[in-house]
Amino acid sequence: MSAFEPSPEQQTIRSARFRQERENGWLRLEKLIVTAERSGVRGLSYRETLELSSLYRQAMNSLSAARALSMDKALLTYLEQLCARAYLVVYAPQESIVPAILRLFSHGIPQAFRRSGVALTIGFLAMTLGALVGFTLFQRDPTWFYTFVPAELAGGRTPQASADFLRDTLYGTTGNAADLLTVFAAYLFSHNTQIAILVFALGIFAALPSFVLTFYNGLLIGPFVAIFVDAGLGFDVFGWLSIHGVTELAAICIACAGGAQLGLAVLIPGQKSRRSALREKGRDAVKLMILAGLMLIVAALVEGYLRQLVQPTEWRLVIGWGLGIFWLGWLMLAGRHGHAQ
Amino acid sequence: MKPKKPRRKGRIEDFVPPEGVPIAFNLASRGTRLGAQLLDIVITYGSITILVVLLAWSGVVGGAPLFALFLLLTFFVRIPYYIFAELIWNGRTLGKRMTRIRVISATGQRLTPHQIVARNLMKEVEVFLPISTLFGANDLNTWAGVSMVVWMFFVLLVPFLNRNRQRLGDMIADTLVVEMPKAVLLPDLTTDKKPLRKLFHFNPEHLEIYGRYELQTLETLLRNPPKTQDQYDRMRAVARTIIDKIGYTENIAPIDQWDFLMAFYEKQRGFLENRHLFGDSREDKFHAEVADGLEAGNSGADSKRSKMERNKTP
Repeated sequence: MSAFEPSPEQQTIRSARFRQERENGWLRLEKLIVTAERSGVRGLSYRETLELSSLYRQAMNSLSAARALSMDKALLTYLEQLCARAYLVVYAPQESIVPAILRLFSHGIPQAFRRSGVALTIGFLAMTLGALVGFTLFQRDPTWFYTFVPAELAGGRTPQASADFLRDTLYGTTGNAADLLTVFAAYLFSHNTQIAILVFALGIFAALPSFVLTFYNGLLIGPFVAIFVDAGLGFDVFGWLSIHGVTELAAICIACAGGAQLGLAVLIPGQKSRRSALREKGRDAVKLMILAGLMLIVAALVEGYLRQLVQPTEWRLVIGWGLGIFWLGWLMLAGRHGHAQ
Repeated sequence: MKPKKPRRKGRIEDFVPPEGVPIAFNLASRGTRLGAQLLDIVITYGSITILVVLLAWSGVVGGAPLFALFLLLTFFVRIPYYIFAELIWNGRTLGKRMTRIRVISATGQRLTPHQIVARNLMKEVEVFLPISTLFGANDLNTWAGVSMVVWMFFVLLVPFLNRNRQRLGDMIADTLVVEMPKAVLLPDLTTDKKPLRKLFHFNPEHLEIYGRYELQTLETLLRNPPKTQDQYDRMRAVARTIIDKIGYTENIAPIDQWDFLMAFYEKQRGFLENRHLFGDSREDKFHAEVADGLEAGNSGADSKRSKMERNKTP
């Protein structure tokens, strides 16, 4: 060593030279990342965007090489963090929202609906069974009404109520100011959607809580219908319930079906692990929940406005079941060809 | 059999982006996540309260429309807010931005809208149901109430029961919540230094002793030049230990000890990096025993190594 003076090139060790050659690229990448983090990739020019992606790939290369070359812990940590930051910027979601939503409606949701036969059966069965049980129990002993239906929900519509009073609640015209209808619709939407999300999310606990909650919803409806039937208003209450109920109750059943999908994945994962079964079933389940949310918006508008404005039972039936046919047609026929992705 | 590298707690080390080079992320701590959630709740409910009060006070909208607006807003700030915020800001809500954490997809691909919707729908049972049960007028003294509390307790426990700290929504969506990576480029110790006052000569046998672990421990020491007397003493102790251990015979004045460590670090790093490239990786000072142990087929060095990890001395 002392015999001759080594050139500076030889003096620095290999990993230090490796770093010197690439350092500027890393620092440039860091600058681009900071801009992109602050204002998104839109904040970069076309040239800078190209630079970002090529510098990102170079940094990844550097990291891979540095792991083999360098024992400088600070350098390795830096490169790992730099690559992680760059990754988060480079792999930001790029899909534009509108085509994604259109594809969801044209293919994603209908296909998910058609794939979920078992879960949908569970959902609709829960509601129907609840209604039948509630109705039958009430026929045997009307005091069941007070067990199932909370007083604040009944609003005076009890077995003791007179037929005239009951008729009034179906065709009531009091408080029809447009303002109040808006409040009513807003209330219905937010309340019902919250319930639907709850029914859905509870499904992960082996589907049972979803089933119970939906069953209870049916249990409320059974005695409620029964008091009108007893008062000779069966046809009227059918119309009153149909105009929004076809959509609204179906939406709750569909949310329950989404929950059932999650529950089934937990209960019967098959060959997969529970976690990966959940992940897979989750795709259809979430789409069912989005469908339920959409239907609840429509149901709230119908219940909030149309039910108050459309009085003839025949028209109520036409609107309610017409909507039902529309939903069914869309879900069964749309997206027969092609894939959701 | 290849010994499996133990994974550091709270870290994802096998995250493979499409480029195929694994990168590491630090998982966000549960406390930070709770903080972000609380911040989000305060921000959302706080801002709708302020908005409604301002609107009522200014008289632009009043009565029923205002009430309808209020109802819709209280619905919006529950699940939809989180979905929209994470869609727009790529896995960050306002609370997450403040606490510097974010959601990433565990698959290594980009975060999809499906994942964002799925993980946030589950918030209803994981966050809002416990809150409303706790603060609602529900009677928790019945057996139903007690079982409800126990059940929700277990739901809240889920992030503590798996090592990726995923809550149920994360599991369905296959997402992780990580800290925002911070990249700080520190100078290279071997190039960025003052010229040494003295030249030190190292023979190959001086460099045979230590491995990567000791080298990087020394790096940490050298990156914090001593300022207090305690730190000086520690530095001197380390220098003396190294001199004894490697059998360095030349005399070194106390004032040169820092320079000695710098010079030793550079030589040792160059040496170890060369050995590593030639397939002779030396993880720590027990590397010779590991090599012997592999030949003899026992793992005596492993127990020694774990003892060393506990003591953390070079």
